Amino acid sequence: MKKYETPLLDELEKGPWPSFVKEMKLAAATSEMANDELGQVEKSYRDKRGYWKHGGIVGVLGYGGGVIGRYSSLPEEFPGVAHFHTFRINQPSGMFYKTDRLREIMDLWDKYGSGLTNMHGSTGDMIMLGCRTEALEPLFAEVSSRGWDLGGSGSALRTPACCLGQSRCEWANIDTMDICNELTQSYQDYLHRPAWPYKFKFKVAGCAVDCVAAIARADCSIIGTWKGKIAVDQDAVKDYAKSGMDIKAEIVDMCPTGCMNYDGSALSIDDANCSRCMHCISKMTKALRPTGEKGASILIGAKAPIVVGSLLSWVVVPFIKMEPPYTEFKELVEKIWEWWDDNAKPRERIGELIEVKGMRSFLEGIGVEAQAQQVYEPRKDPFFFWKEEDLSK
Amino acid sequence: MSWLSAEEAKQKRQTDIGPPSYKEMLPPVIAKNYGKWKYHEVLTPGTMVHVAESGEKVYTVRVAGPRLLSTKSIRALMDIADKYCDGYIRWTTRNNIEFMTPKEENMALIKKAAEEIGFPVGGIGRGISNMVHTQGWIHCHSACTDASGIVKAMMDELFPYFNEKLLPAKTRLALACCVNMCGAVHCSDIAVVAIHRKVPEIDHDHVKNMCEIPTTISSCPTRAISPDPAKKSIKINPDKCMYCGNCFTVCPPINIHNPEQDGVAIVVGGKVGSLRKGPMFSKLAIPYIKNNPPRWPEVVEAVKNIVDTYAADARKFERVGEWIERIGWESFFKKTGIPFTFQHIDDFTFARDTFRTSAAFKW
Amino acid sequence: MESEELKNKIYAFVEAAKGKKKLKEKDIIKGVSAETGEGADVVKKAMREMIDVGKLMYSYGGGSSSVEIPSEEYLREKGMIQ
Repeated sequence: MKKYETPLLDELEKGPWPSFVKEMKLAAATSEMANDELGQVEKSYRDKRGYWKHGGIVGVLGYGGGVIGRYSSLPEEFPGVAHFHTFRINQPSGMFYKTDRLREIMDLWDKYGSGLTNMHGSTGDMIMLGCRTEALEPLFAEVSSRGWDLGGSGSALRTPACCLGQSRCEWANIDTMDICNELTQSYQDYLHRPAWPYKFKFKVAGCAVDCVAAIARADCSIIGTWKGKIAVDQDAVKDYAKSGMDIKAEIVDMCPTGCMNYDGSALSIDDANCSRCMHCISKMTKALRPTGEKGASILIGAKAPIVVGSLLSWVVVPFIKMEPPYTEFKELVEKIWEWWDDNAKPRERIGELIEVKGMRSFLEGIGVEAQAQQVYEPRKDPFFFWKEEDLSK
Repeated sequence: MSWLSAEEAKQKRQTDIGPPSYKEMLPPVIAKNYGKWKYHEVLTPGTMVHVAESGEKVYTVRVAGPRLLSTKSIRALMDIADKYCDGYIRWTTRNNIEFMTPKEENMALIKKAAEEIGFPVGGIGRGISNMVHTQGWIHCHSACTDASGIVKAMMDELFPYFNEKLLPAKTRLALACCVNMCGAVHCSDIAVVAIHRKVPEIDHDHVKNMCEIPTTISSCPTRAISPDPAKKSIKINPDKCMYCGNCFTVCPPINIHNPEQDGVAIVVGGKVGSLRKGPMFSKLAIPYIKNNPPRWPEVVEAVKNIVDTYAADARKFERVGEWIERIGWESFFKKTGIPFTFQHIDDFTFARDTFRTSAAFKW
Repeated sequence: MESEELKNKIYAFVEAAKGKKKLKEKDIIKGVSAETGEGADVVKKAMREMIDVGKLMYSYGGGSSSVEIPSEEYLREKGMIQ
């Protein structure tokens, strides 16, 4: 195997943080592909530019996504990365793994690919980084015959992702992992066969802390919430005070709605004024917990800035029950897809389309009533539409 | 081990089965107490305990991973999980690895074993957790900086905030190697985003053959692109181009890469949680720092300065964005010593909401 | 309409757009449905069957997905031709 000098990358083996260069060298010791990857990346460091061509058209038969073609622009110099495709494997919800199941993937990846991975990609898939076109079909057969499948790419449903929810978190108002799994399984066709104007992402968070960044990164953000009161365990409150927490400064004064009061021994909450932001609960997890009806808020439209600016998701359905088999939610999201698919231009995300067509058009299209929870404030201008049906109301 | 033949592959392959169920991936203590957790406590910056209604406990040890992992390291991490965690392992949404065990005494053993193979323990609570980032030069055609290298250099410098020192609140760092932002860094406390600064160069012969002209024209958000009928290609109005690279995405012969001019911007003050204030976008702090591999010292220094200023000045539980809103952006620039420039004043879609309409401000 | 005949129509529709316009699934379904009078579901099913056996393929370029006639390279890789 060719030995590359990598003086620049070697600098990134120093220091306490785990080194990706060390990982590349580990893989390069037994893989020509990883070895040439190391060589090419060193060259990128020297020249301050990447050496990858635009994607290419590769995939497994019948699917339109899950594999992203990647070719080196310097195939003669680095033949091991002439093809270096990405193979996305759909992660189990919550990214828990039984090690014998994960080992079978590692064995297959050593056999068919570079031995390099991303655990995980930005959307949530396990990313197998670097294989040749001719490896795709046999690798897919091996992976799928062991009960794994590809993730999404292109103008399709992208691999849904979630926080770990009720598996290990007392704040989760909904069963995020089950919802994520159920959506993934129910919509396999949309995930593998790009039928839409552009990508569509689901992310499921158990509460407003949003550890999966649903509100910033998903076209459909499902965020757990509740309708009842916050139960207060006054003994636990006393324990927090005893352990040195400044309850007035750190909890009461930081409450955005001013709905809390602490008299030096007991903590009280004006629940009608609570906006369920999670500040107090997340800081006094032993003392405070949500009660009553649990469900989710559905927010729509988040995306990164390309091309006319980033969007955060907007509240569309302030509260919906989320219980298996999630029929009400599925009916809603299918209406959302239909409206988007009927109206969007190519490469138009749903958030962008809502801006173009107007929130009313969207809400009417999916059969959702106007509700004050959908906005921070009503409009300021005097220019608004009246439809015939509004005039007769 | 030989590859499957085409015929064998055809026989074996299954489609539309989705991933394995999460239910078979759960450690026994997790499966048993699913949905029945009562509270948790952070024990150290890298360990915590969750207590169930039943009184059962699960101890979690979190270790940092580079997002780029070899199968060899994943196996080594799984060996630890087999030894101390009943054969189960988990990754977090920020590329950390979590080991869970019902046995308190296993925490120290896991920590020792992980650190021996180069994976440090930390990243829980009021500090800096792992950085979310993109592929960079490792694997992306669109990257205008590397991702893993800057992240490594930054986290080496900020390491004490990962495993030992507290900050006012949790501080989320991210990096995107171009404005497509696969890492969606736009709501991070501090993020690095790579940018271009020059109008792309057009390879007209290839545009003719490879690109749909109308699609290319409509890809431009500032309408800087118009047809060039003589060349059967397109032309770009340099006064309107703001170098987003969307035309390059739809039409590869429009080359936007420029190794001497490409670099990174630093944005600050975003968050995704709704705690206290609603989620916030990150806003521009530093418009440009040149690419300086292998360790990008200017970027590391700039981020360190922002973190240190925040650490010294913010109140407990205040995120970076909340701190800046309280003191005002004019104070942020003063306290950090970062120069304010024309690039900071928005002239794109959100501009109107950012101009000051109040006579009250600070000096 | 016979399934084979419909598939020929679909193929011809995709072939006519080659090099001119990237067709999305929906463009094909709408176009062929209008041309043949067959329902959208029927056209979609026929198109999918063609994709499953490599008569047509999903492609990706310019930031979005489309359906195309497979290249020789693709067919060779999938074992469709020698």
